[in-house]
Amino acid sequence: MIKLALKDLKLFFKDKRSVLVTFAIPIALITLFAFAFGGAGKSGGSSKIKMQLSDLDSTTASYETTKIFDSLKSILVLVTPLEQALENIKKGKQSCVLIIHKGFSDSLSSGKGLPLELQYDEAKEIEVGLLQQSLISTVASLPFSIGDPKTSMANRFNNMVKDAPPGLQKDIQNSSDGLFDLLSEGFAQDSSVPQKTQKNIASDFLGGDIKMTKLIAAGDDNKVGLVQAVAGTAVMMLLFSVVGIGMGLLDEKQEGTLKRLLYTPMNPISILFGKMIAANIISIFQLLIMFLFANLVFGLDIFSHLGGLLIMILATSFACSAFGVLLASFARSRQQVQGLSTLIILVMSAIGGSMMPIFFMPAFMQKLAIMSVNYWSIQGFFDIFWRSLSFTDSTFLFRVLVLMLIGLTLNTLAVVMFKKNILNLN
Amino acid sequence: MIGIKDLKKSYGRHEALKGISFSIKEGEFYGLLGPNGAGKTTAISIMSSILKPDSGEVLINGNNIYSNPGETKKIIGVVPQEIALYNELSANENLMFWGGMYSVPERELKDRKNELLDLFGLTDRKNDKVANYSGGMKRRINIAAALLHRPRVLFMDEPTVGIDPQSRNLIFEVTEKLHHDGMTIIYTTHYMEEAERLCNRIGIIDKGQIIAEGTLEELKKNSPAKETIVVTFNNLDDQVAQRLFSSRKNSKRSGNTIYFYTSDLKKDLPPVITQCQEAGAEINQIEFQKVNLETIFLSLTGKQLRD
Repeated sequence: MIKLALKDLKLFFKDKRSVLVTFAIPIALITLFAFAFGGAGKSGGSSKIKMQLSDLDSTTASYETTKIFDSLKSILVLVTPLEQALENIKKGKQSCVLIIHKGFSDSLSSGKGLPLELQYDEAKEIEVGLLQQSLISTVASLPFSIGDPKTSMANRFNNMVKDAPPGLQKDIQNSSDGLFDLLSEGFAQDSSVPQKTQKNIASDFLGGDIKMTKLIAAGDDNKVGLVQAVAGTAVMMLLFSVVGIGMGLLDEKQEGTLKRLLYTPMNPISILFGKMIAANIISIFQLLIMFLFANLVFGLDIFSHLGGLLIMILATSFACSAFGVLLASFARSRQQVQGLSTLIILVMSAIGGSMMPIFFMPAFMQKLAIMSVNYWSIQGFFDIFWRSLSFTDSTFLFRVLVLMLIGLTLNTLAVVMFKKNILNLN
Repeated sequence: MIGIKDLKKSYGRHEALKGISFSIKEGEFYGLLGPNGAGKTTAISIMSSILKPDSGEVLINGNNIYSNPGETKKIIGVVPQEIALYNELSANENLMFWGGMYSVPERELKDRKNELLDLFGLTDRKNDKVANYSGGMKRRINIAAALLHRPRVLFMDEPTVGIDPQSRNLIFEVTEKLHHDGMTIIYTTHYMEEAERLCNRIGIIDKGQIIAEGTLEELKKNSPAKETIVVTFNNLDDQVAQRLFSSRKNSKRSGNTIYFYTSDLKKDLPPVITQCQEAGAEINQIEFQKVNLETIFLSLTGKQLRD
């Protein structure tokens, strides 16, 4: 029995693919998810959330407020003109903009509600939610930071009770003055209560509302989760299937049909081009069927965006099939391709947004995302279904161009590797 | 029709071909006979231009195959040693595909395909997947796929390996018919019976070198072996074998067997037996062989074709 077990262990460790699937792939995925969910890295892995800020008030108070937001550890403030900021959101480059409307300074001193508005892309609701949490407490404490808290609280309270009978208003004002003193002066210098707690209580009293406005919101048909699920899964599964098609090259080599093809008068490179064409056609059909399925079963509106969808399907198919053919040209055996492809596809899918939205990930991983086919393709599908960009829009066309360049580069590499590895019969 | 000059090819340190030269006339049936690993497949691969030699030249129909491989490939057909077909496709589909690779016009291809299916006795099974064929049927389709474009030169690399006698006979008959119709055929094999039956001329190849060449009659005539006394011993040790070799130069050893070549069997048999007894060897069996390719090969290399 021990001998049998030892034999199995020996066979297992000789099979590089099994070793790869058992150890390397889980380790790679654990690492990726740990970074993505903030469990790794020196500072806990969390990264700053980017927030555009448009200051329409342009006062000392609004300038000071901007500085306070910028000093927050969790937020990276990008001061941007409003028009540009809104364009950035519409094109998916940024998730939100905090607008400091005109009258901010006056409202701060008079204790009125602050004219702050956060406009955002609903597709990034989770990211914006985290941002909102950070902003609310900061906004509430603004009077303590750049204004007169006692006046602010008093004015706010007066505004709240302004409809009460005048006599009652005066009684309330008299009895609340002490409370405002207490709150603003720090609980009568009671050193047992930390300054932060005092500030928090006052902040809660003052409140910290920010108007939330969805700049891009879910239409009737194209829910963000659905677009994420369809696009993310479709691209990941496409990568797996094109690798299978690419592996046909290795099967042909192993079964002797490749050699037989070389006996024919056709140019040897045509063999590779034939595989590329087949992989492209199957990829296009696969994506079409997946989106058609999403339309029929989940109601994803594909027909209003047919032009963009077809262009993105073509570009995605071109890039993905080139990846599959390259991998097959690169490897020397089917087993090698299977191990390598599983690792690469899972990593690309994880960082590229197939498994989870990329804003979950830390900044450095979001930068890495652009290395994956998944990222460009998924963002392209979001452009179509979520941001409703036209297929002539420069942002959309840029993603198409990147996918085409990826495809072209991988295909060129595939030709080189095919000549070196597959055609080499020596 | 085909001229091979000083062809050399090495795989790393292993010299697969050590400078072979021969020529084949149009319409000739040339056999390349040798054991496994002799260099036959390497020679075929180079002649069909899918493998580049380290040095040497291959001329087919007067053209260097590497100067214009596309044109040369149009007139040659290759039957590979392995069954190189798409198992999930039917015989019909396979033949249409491989004919298409030679740009045979579709209507002509259909006629040719049907003709070949008929010739190889596979018309009834033409729509079955190749995966469901017997080994012999696969071999037959493997050959048919090389004939669709009516090549003038046909390379056949061990086309009968591992098949049933019925399929083998059919392949022989078809091959003979092709030759009769004027096709130039280069046929590699390690079965001497095939070479003896089919080939006009035979090149014997071993360790990357052509060690003898000619018609069967020429090979027999020039061979040191005329007839062979095959003596098998019980436990032939090296010292005894050495004593026997010193008394009879024209002999080869293979395991417990010694082959004594003779031009006069009746005259030489008694002294051979006497010498064996005197050397202390215990004879187990004595056979007599007339000269054939096997004995010629043995006399030239000291080993059997199937070693």
